[in-house]
Amino acid sequence: MKGNVIKYARDNIDTDVIIPGQYLKVHDYAELAKHAMEGLDPDFHSKVKEGDFILSGRNFGCGSSREHAPIALAHSGIKAVLALSFARIFYRNAVDGAFLLPIEIDQDAYSDIAEGDQIDIDLKSNQINNLTKNKTYKMKPFSDIIGKIIEAGGLFKYKPD
Amino acid sequence: MGKTLFEKIWDAHVVVEKENSPSLIYIDRHLVHEVTSPQAFDGLRMNNRKVRRPDLTIATMDHNVPTNNRGLPILDQTSSVQIQTLEKNCKDFGIKLFDINSPNQGIVHVIGPQLGITLPGTTIVCGDSHTSTHGAFGALAFGIGTSEVEHVLASQTLWLEKPTPFEIKVEGKRKNPHAVTAKDIILSIIKNIGTSGGNGTVIEYRGEGISDLSMEQRMTICNMSIEAGARAGLIAPDEKTFEYLRGRQYTPKNYEFLVDYWRENLKTDSGAKFEKNYTLHIDDIAPQVSWGTNPGMTIDVTESVPSPEDFAKGDQNQKKGAEKALEYMNLKSGTPMTEIKIDRVFIGSCTNARLEDLIEASKVVKGRKVSPNVKAMIVPGSQMVKKQAEELGLDKIFIDANFEWRESGCSMCLGMNPDILSPGERCASTSNRNFEGRQGTGGRTHLVSPVMAAAAAIFGHFVDVREMDLN
Repeated sequence: MKGNVIKYARDNIDTDVIIPGQYLKVHDYAELAKHAMEGLDPDFHSKVKEGDFILSGRNFGCGSSREHAPIALAHSGIKAVLALSFARIFYRNAVDGAFLLPIEIDQDAYSDIAEGDQIDIDLKSNQINNLTKNKTYKMKPFSDIIGKIIEAGGLFKYKPD
Repeated sequence: MGKTLFEKIWDAHVVVEKENSPSLIYIDRHLVHEVTSPQAFDGLRMNNRKVRRPDLTIATMDHNVPTNNRGLPILDQTSSVQIQTLEKNCKDFGIKLFDINSPNQGIVHVIGPQLGITLPGTTIVCGDSHTSTHGAFGALAFGIGTSEVEHVLASQTLWLEKPTPFEIKVEGKRKNPHAVTAKDIILSIIKNIGTSGGNGTVIEYRGEGISDLSMEQRMTICNMSIEAGARAGLIAPDEKTFEYLRGRQYTPKNYEFLVDYWRENLKTDSGAKFEKNYTLHIDDIAPQVSWGTNPGMTIDVTESVPSPEDFAKGDQNQKKGAEKALEYMNLKSGTPMTEIKIDRVFIGSCTNARLEDLIEASKVVKGRKVSPNVKAMIVPGSQMVKKQAEELGLDKIFIDANFEWRESGCSMCLGMNPDILSPGERCASTSNRNFEGRQGTGGRTHLVSPVMAAAAAIFGHFVDVREMDLN
């Protein structure tokens, strides 16, 4: 999985800035995507490209249970969010609908990877390769439980062994 | 080794459990509202599925509903469509709906307990993060996303990762329980453990400071567990819990039999192990006011707006967050909180819009007038709360003081209906989130208790309500 990074170097990016409440009535996902991150970064929609990643700090996706948050990001082209930690409902929503991958990173990757860097995420080896800086970081592997839901392709496709 | 209350409820609901795999958990009650359910019902239709237990599924409309005259048509077309969609979905799938004209309509987390739908020892889910509220009754209750809503509708179960138990002890006695409220206790906890302090856990609140609280106050505590990142909040049921639920509309017929069972079983065993512990002493805590853009950015009303350095204690991200927050909130470090002038007051939401909240707020308001520079509104949590308040004459107290007295709904807590802040407006709000834009684009939210909000409305700025006579 290769793409460029859009970085928000702060903690507690909440679901109200990812997709403000007034758009929870929008059922057209392309339209929803136009308002992704609007609360924090009005330029997001014009700069995001298919295959990009978001990189951020601790507790990404805190707040509301709105699945519109990962949906709005996914339909903007975001394939994964890399963060120091995630709020649990956002984390599960991202995985349940197979919208995008929530990837936990360490402080080293968080500090080092900059806006615009091209990275390659290797899920087999749990490594992130920074192609711009020619460096490698470890990502936290998915737990067995989450890994199984991701592998199945979402909550409805998951079947117990 | 003993078990925690959380583990007992979890174990009683396991359908399938295998190491290193998700656990399949049975769900006893599913609460549904208009915003997070439409795609879930669409999914059922697409796959030709039915709702497995319509009798355990209860719906209402709360997020979108206007809070002015209910006799008028809904002007916002998209809101109107979402409300009609819920009506159609409930009809098609045979689900009980408390619609906009029902005397039982209200915020889903207010009506569940009021109707006796929320019961101790049960698992409760809803496509809303504040489902944690129901934990006040000793129910394992948590918010879920729309994919999970569909899964529960289809199967009455969920695949879950088991959270870990977190003990929060609240010790001591508040000197002035009318001025220092449950809201101040939970804001103090979040300020101390942080907005992700409860991540991956179910918090059990224990101690004298919790058992002293009424059921409505306990709901305020559990409601905001999610603001500390916890999956759920729990309080072991006691005689207050059993008394509260006795004789309500949907309380089960074999209630006394259940009470005997709950009394015996729904408590954490001595010797049970919590993964995490935190203790808050409440003897000397002050009324709380948030100054920033998440609920952890909160201080005593007697303090001044902190500097980013003082707030961050050496953490670069926290410092940056505080700088951004001060800019968004248009506040200067060092300004005493009591000098901050406000434009709007919102008393409402699933956190603080129950009868007791309104009674307490009315004590501040009685015989006074809202400051001429402030626009203030009361949005009762449910039609039942509204009716009970009107029977006590509270509506008259508020209206005489120039508060607006509205119909029930989520309203200005999240800005989905016409009740929103204008850009730059500053609001003292009894809701649960002070995120940027939460109450309307550019709006500035300060989280406070109902008495603090009422006092801010009267004086036009924050005041320490301990200095007022609230008896």
